Amino acid sequence: MAKVSIDRLKKTFGSAVAVSDFSLDIADGELVAFLGPSGCGKTTTLRMIAGFIEPTTGTIRIGDDDVTRMPVHKRNTGMVFQRYALFPHMTVSQNVLFGLEMHKVEPTERDKRMRTALDMVRMSSFHDRYPRQLSGGQQQRVAIARALAIQPRVFLLDEPLSNLDAKLRLEVREEIRDLQRNLGLTTIFVTHDQEEALAIADRMAIMYDGKIQQIGSPEELYERPDNLFVADFLGKMNFFEGKVSEAGKFITTSHQREIFIDGTERNVQKIGVRPERITLSAQPQGSNALTGVVDTAIYLGSILDVRVRLDSGEFVSAQLPNRGSEHAQHISEGARVHACFEPKDCVLFSE
Amino acid sequence: MGQLKQVSELQTAADADARITPFPAPHRKSRVPWVAWLHRTFVVLMYLFMLSPLIFVVWLSFFKDAILYFPPSGYTLSWYHKAVTDSAFVNGFLTSLQVAIIASLCGVTLGVAASLGIIRYAFKGNNLVNTLLLSPLLVPGIVAGVAIYLAYLQVENLLDMDVVGTYGGLVLAHICLTIPWTVRLVSASMHGLDPSIVEAARNLGANSRVAFWRITLPMLRPAIVAATLFSFVVSFENLELSLSLVGPGRTTLPIAIMQYLEFNLDPTIAAVSAIQILLLGVVMLVTDRFVKLSQVV
Amino acid sequence: MDSADKNAPQGRRVGASLAFPASVMVLIVMLVPILMLFRYSFNVFDNGLMIEGFSLDSYLNFFSDPYYREVFLNTVYVAAVCTLLSLILGFPVAYFLAKSQSRYKSLFIILLVFPLMVGNVVRAAGWMIILGNAGFVNYFLQLFGFTDQPLQLMYTPFAVIVGTTGVVLPYFILTLQSVLEGIDFSVEEAAQSLGANFFVSFYRVVLPIAAPGVAAGTVLVFILCMNAYATPVLLGGTGITMMAPALYDQITKAANWPFGAALAVVLVVATLIMATLSNWFIHRRYVKTMVS
Repeated sequence: MAKVSIDRLKKTFGSAVAVSDFSLDIADGELVAFLGPSGCGKTTTLRMIAGFIEPTTGTIRIGDDDVTRMPVHKRNTGMVFQRYALFPHMTVSQNVLFGLEMHKVEPTERDKRMRTALDMVRMSSFHDRYPRQLSGGQQQRVAIARALAIQPRVFLLDEPLSNLDAKLRLEVREEIRDLQRNLGLTTIFVTHDQEEALAIADRMAIMYDGKIQQIGSPEELYERPDNLFVADFLGKMNFFEGKVSEAGKFITTSHQREIFIDGTERNVQKIGVRPERITLSAQPQGSNALTGVVDTAIYLGSILDVRVRLDSGEFVSAQLPNRGSEHAQHISEGARVHACFEPKDCVLFSE
Repeated sequence: MGQLKQVSELQTAADADARITPFPAPHRKSRVPWVAWLHRTFVVLMYLFMLSPLIFVVWLSFFKDAILYFPPSGYTLSWYHKAVTDSAFVNGFLTSLQVAIIASLCGVTLGVAASLGIIRYAFKGNNLVNTLLLSPLLVPGIVAGVAIYLAYLQVENLLDMDVVGTYGGLVLAHICLTIPWTVRLVSASMHGLDPSIVEAARNLGANSRVAFWRITLPMLRPAIVAATLFSFVVSFENLELSLSLVGPGRTTLPIAIMQYLEFNLDPTIAAVSAIQILLLGVVMLVTDRFVKLSQVV
Repeated sequence: MDSADKNAPQGRRVGASLAFPASVMVLIVMLVPILMLFRYSFNVFDNGLMIEGFSLDSYLNFFSDPYYREVFLNTVYVAAVCTLLSLILGFPVAYFLAKSQSRYKSLFIILLVFPLMVGNVVRAAGWMIILGNAGFVNYFLQLFGFTDQPLQLMYTPFAVIVGTTGVVLPYFILTLQSVLEGIDFSVEEAAQSLGANFFVSFYRVVLPIAAPGVAAGTVLVFILCMNAYATPVLLGGTGITMMAPALYDQITKAANWPFGAALAVVLVVATLIMATLSNWFIHRRYVKTMVS
C-alpha cells in the first residue's frame, strides 16, 4: 500500500479540457471518493492514475515513484471496472490467477493467493465457473478478488456498483468498505451517487467541469460547502439572496427580510440553510423565524417533506422527522407557520 | 398479484440480480385469438414453403423407381450407392471439398489479419480498405466469374501458361469469396468486444503483446472458427463464380449437379443433392455453436 | 503509452501490412478483372473476335434489340414480383419471430438459415420435383381430380418466380427480423391504449419504425433476384430468359465479350440504381424523425 500524490493534473482532448488543475494527496490506507455528475472528469482522472490515458501536463506519484509516463502494466494498481470486465474465456480461478502470473508470482504462492482472494469475497465455491454463469453481483465480487490478489499499491474502482440493483449495491458497497479497511488499501472510488460516496469515503473530492470543487470529509463537505455547486450537489439546500447590512445581519433581496448570521464576513451574496435544520412551528422560535404558509406536505414515512411558501414569495423546503401525527398537527396545507433556524445553520456564500 | 413467496425465494431472487433485458416483449393474450392462430398457421406454411424443396429432394432420393413418379412404388438406398460410386460426382465432390478447405483456410488467415489491421490500427484509408475487402459480396457471382475468366485468358496469353480451368485459378477466385465473409464476421466480433476486458488485463500486469495473445485472440476464437466453417460452406456451394472457371475433367459438385439437372431429374441426382445437403447442413449446425448465424446473413 | 500504440507511426504501418495481402488478393483477382470487363463493353466484336477500341455498339445493340429488352424487362419483372412477394409473405414471419419468446426460437432461426447454406442448385432441384409434369403438385391435383392432364408449371415465369421467392424469402425474413428484434413493442401497446386498433397501430407506429429493416431487406432481396442464375436456368429453361444466364452465354458460348460485358454493366448499374431508389423511397416515406 502506498500514498498517492497528484499534482496539477491536466488533460485536454483537442480544444476540450476534460480535467484541469487536479491536485490531491491521498494518505496510505485512505479511501477517497471522486464524486460528480457525468462528464465532470472523475473517470478521466481515474484512468490517468491507472495509466489508460496520458495526462497533458502534471504528475502522478504512487509512493516514491513518478508513474506519470509509466505504462499501465507496470503500475501495480488494481482496478475494478463498471461492467466487471472478467475474461469470458477463463474460469473464475483462472481470472484471478492471471494477474498473479503477470506479476511473476511463484506457482505455489499463486494458488494460495488466489484462494485467499476468493475467500475474501466468498466466491471460492464458484472457482471453476465461467463468468457467463454468474450473476452481476457475483461477477463484481470476482472482479474485486482479481484486483486484490495482485496486492496492488492502489485500489481503483470505476463506478463498480452502478450496474447492480439497489439491494445488491448496498451489500457489495459494505463488502468493499470492510475489505478496504481490513487490508488498509489506499483506494480511489469513482461514483456519481452521493449517498455511496458519503457512506464509504474517508474524504471526497467533488468535481465539476473538470475541476475539483472541494476536497474534504463527508461531514466537512456537507456542513461547510465551499461553493454553490457543492452545496447544491450534496443534498438539498434552501438559498436566500441578499447582502450583509451590518455584522451578523443579512438582508434578503426580496422583501428585505432580516436574517441573523454568524461571523463578521461582509462579502456574502447568498446564504444557504439545509431543510433538516428548519423547524416549523405555529409560534416564532429562535433567532430566525420566517412566516409563511404550508404549500405541500409529503409524507415519506420516516420524514415529512414540507414546502412552505414564505410571505416574501419564495419557497423553502423543510424536512421534519416523523414524531407522530400529534406533533405534525400544525403542518397541513394552508396552515400558517414560522420557518425557524439558527444563525449557525446558515452557510455563507460569496457568489 | 396476491401470490405469497417464501423468504428464501426472495433471497435467491435478490441474488440473481437483474441483467436487465432491453424491451422484453410484452406477453399478453391476444384479444382476438383467431388472429393469433391464423398468424401461426401462416408462419408454418411459410416455413413449409421454404423447406419443401429440400424435403422433396431427400424424399426423392429414396424412391425405388428410376424415373420420377408419384406415388413412389417403394424405397431403396441404391441411389446413394450409385451417387458415391459415380466418378463424375465423386470427382466433383472431392474438388469442391479440396477447394473449399484451402480457400477457407487461406481466406480466414488473410481475412483475420486484415480485420486486425483495420480495427486495431487505424491507418489512413482503413475504411476504404474495409470496403474493398467487402466488395466481392456486392458483385453478382456470374459477373465476377466471367470477368475473372476473361482476365485469366489474358494472363494465359501473357505468361504462356494455363490458368483457366486450373485448380489454382479456381482456388484464387474462391479465396476472394471467403475473405469478405471472414472480415465481416471477425470485424463484427471485434467491435463487440468489451474494451474494458483488455484494459483489465493490462491493469493486471499484461503488456500489449500478452494482452493480445492471451485475451483478445482467445475472445475472437469463436468468430474465427465460425468464419472458417462459414467460408467452407460458401465456397463449397458456390456455383456462379465457379461456372466459368472449371475445365474439362475438373468440376465442382454444384456444377456437376446442375449440369445433370439440365437434362435429367431422377433419384440419383436427388441422392447426390441430399449428400450435399447433409454435409453443408452439419457444418452449418456446428458453425451455429460459435456464432449466431442469423446476425451474419 | 500502450493506448497510444495504435496511432503511432509504427502502429499504422503494422496495420497496413496486416491488411495488405488480403487487399492485394481481392484487388488483383476480383476488382481488376471486373474493371477490365467493364472496359471490354466498349470494345468492338468483329467476326468472332474482340477488337480494342471505343464504341457504344454493344450498348446500342442491347437497347435496340427487342429480344434483349425483353430479357432485361423479364429480369426486372421477376425481381420486382419476388421482392414484393417476399415482403408480403416475409413480414408476418419476421414479426412473429421478433416477438416470439418461445424456447424454440433459435430452432426457428436455424431452420431459416439452413436452406441458405445448402446451395441454390439443390433447392432448384427440389422445385423441379415439386413443379414438374410428373411432380408432386401435378400428382396432388390429379389425385383429387382438379385436372386430368398435368399442368405445365415448369419452364414458365411462374416456376421461376416461385423458386426465386423460395430462395430469397429467408434472406428477407432474417434481415427484417434482426431489425424488429430491437424494437420496443410496448409502443404498440401504447398506441392501442390511446385508442388505435391493431391495424392503425401497426400502420402508424410499427411500420415506420420497422421501415429501415424493410428497406434493407427488400433491397437485399431485389439485388439477389436480379443476379439470379441457377434458379432461372433450371426452372425457366427456354420459357423465360434472364440477364445473368444471358450474359453468361454471350461470354462463354457466343464468345461475344463486348456484348456480354455490356449486359453485365447494364445489369449491375440498373440493379444499383433501382436498389438505391427504393431504399431512398422507403426511407423518405416511412422513416420519420428517428433520431437514436
